[in-house]
Amino acid sequence: MTNPLIIVENIVKKYHRGAEELTVLNSLNFTVYEGEFVALMGPSGSGKTTLLNLIAGIDRPNSGYIFVGKDEISALSEDKLAEWRSRHIGFIFQTYNLIPVLTAFENVELPLLLTPLGKSERRKHVEIALSIVGLADRMSHYPRQLSGGQEQRVAIARAIVTDPTLLMADEPTGDLDAKSAEEVLILLERLNSEFKKTIIIVTHDPKAAARASRLVRLEKGILKEDIPTESLDSARFAEAASVFVEARPK
Amino acid sequence: MKLLPLILKNVFRKKARAILTIGSIILPLLVICLMGTFLRLLDRPDPAETRGMFRIVTRHKVGLASPLPMSYAEKIRQLDGAFAVTKFNWFGGKYIDNSARNFFARFAVEPETLVQVFDDATITQGSATDWFNDRAGSLVGEDLMKKFGWRIGDQIVLIGDIYPVTIQLTIRAVYQLPDGDSDALFFNREYLEEALPSFQGKVGTIWTKCRDGAAATRLSDEIDQMFENSPYPTKTETEKAFQMGFVSMLGNVKLLITSLGTIVVFVILLIAANTMALSARERIREIALLRTLGFSRVTILMLTLGESLMLALFGGILGLGLFVVGFRPLKASLINTPLSGFATAMTLFPEVLLLGLVITIFVGLFSGLVPAIQASMRPITEGLRHIG
Ligand SMILES: Nc1ncnc2c1ncn2[C@@H]1O[C@H](COP(=O)(O)OP(=O)(O)OP(=O)(O)O)[C@@H](O)[C@H]1O
Ligand SMILES: [Mg+2]
Repeated sequence: MTNPLIIVENIVKKYHRGAEELTVLNSLNFTVYEGEFVALMGPSGSGKTTLLNLIAGIDRPNSGYIFVGKDEISALSEDKLAEWRSRHIGFIFQTYNLIPVLTAFENVELPLLLTPLGKSERRKHVEIALSIVGLADRMSHYPRQLSGGQEQRVAIARAIVTDPTLLMADEPTGDLDAKSAEEVLILLERLNSEFKKTIIIVTHDPKAAARASRLVRLEKGILKEDIPTESLDSARFAEAASVFVEARPK
Repeated sequence: MKLLPLILKNVFRKKARAILTIGSIILPLLVICLMGTFLRLLDRPDPAETRGMFRIVTRHKVGLASPLPMSYAEKIRQLDGAFAVTKFNWFGGKYIDNSARNFFARFAVEPETLVQVFDDATITQGSATDWFNDRAGSLVGEDLMKKFGWRIGDQIVLIGDIYPVTIQLTIRAVYQLPDGDSDALFFNREYLEEALPSFQGKVGTIWTKCRDGAAATRLSDEIDQMFENSPYPTKTETEKAFQMGFVSMLGNVKLLITSLGTIVVFVILLIAANTMALSARERIREIALLRTLGFSRVTILMLTLGESLMLALFGGILGLGLFVVGFRPLKASLINTPLSGFATAMTLFPEVLLLGLVITIFVGLFSGLVPAIQASMRPITEGLRHIG
């Protein structure tokens, strides 16, 4: 492994629900190295999304430190953090979150509007991103004219168009049929192997987890296990993974 | 601004709602412009106060459509305090066609006394004497000359409707009033009397220039009393009261109109704010997405305010445009109603249009303010968890 890219140190994250206090993450430590493809698993409510959001800089810990590259993001101001996200984070959601009134092209172009790039340069970047996800011929389609798998691939193009340091995916295949899910996973794998993107994916699907280079299990706010997949043969891995998988919430 | 296309798409995301909101800005804005014109005219300096022009206007008590006997003018002239008296007859008719574009006020008058009563006007081209000496000559307002591109010596043909006669006039002089529009045409009543004997002896309004304010007040009562029991009772009022028509009788008109206008503004504001609140609520997740992508709070604030401003501007500009386009037809249609005094004085004031624009911008910014602040302050994670 190479240099650490993400260092999470003694993170505490609590939520308040009325008078009740809920500690979701309790003194959590976590390190991700450059070029890793990490699958984050764990039962529903264990804090996977919370952890992902903290690393992506869209939420803040109650205490502890988060470093990404040279930046201590837990110390950045609101505005600095927004700017940091635009340069370093590509986020992929379970529900795609495309803007329905914008075409595939315009959706992918959105993050570039925050850069100083001119119109023709933006076009070039968008075209490249859409061709990587195999949708160069769907640029002028609106989200409602695309299938779920295609929508998710547009969302992936939007996440990679700024060439971010990190790709974060929160159950990216959760809403997809098996075939579309497979396509999305292959795409993520390619982004990791070919484009050297560091990826963290939250998933309930062992098949998805099997594509990762490392598996992390979160339970009741504590990072319990951390098994490098290379060290397992595939039969044992499938067994290990199935242990992590909880029944998806009905 | 790179975000403009997104703002525009957001405005028209729910087309029916956007159109209804824009419509409900257009119509009240038209009303506000009309009210503003009224207020502006009420504010217009009273010639009596600013220039010592104490003019009073006498007309038939029943209305402008009923003429008075010409002999009344002579009787009024003999009253103490009356400096000069002149007679007006609304000619109407059409110039070229009946379109609003070709509409302007035309009066048959008595030239020599007209310039005595309106001695605050200046002759800017030609001369009063030229006009006096040509029975088929006319005196034309500077604004009207500009609008039609007329020159001294040009021929104007008017086809009568109230008076079934076609008259051909030569422009002999051009006048300019110190304030208000100079957009009427005057010609010698003798020309009309010759062409149409039945016109003889009838007069629409009688204008009297009084010695001073006291004389104006006293004469108004004296004149009406003098003719009270005749077959042609009169109503006499000051020039300004005449222009404001019956409105000036309603006590504190200014306060009334201002309060109504303010209420109308708030109604528009509520409608626009409602639309903005709905659209912001529908877009909670989207805004969280944009913030995840790195859009700052300020950008989100501007995106939402930009949307409400755009919505208001669509309504505002259409409303103001409609007011400008509809102004002349409206003026033309009011001229034969009890509001004719107002209609003749009615002007397309730039201040009124500016007021409309300021109100539009105010509505645009304030209707979006609360949703914009909420949208930009909501934590991203909360927005992403939002269902709906
Ligand atoms: N904004 C919030 N306010 C209050 N409680 C919250 C909030 N966000 C998350 N929680 C709670 O924190 C816990 C962890 O939530 P989180 O979304 O991180 O779980 P998760 O592991 O992603 O679950 P899932 O697999 O269902 O997506 C849950 O109990 C959740 O109800
Ligand atoms: Mg989750």
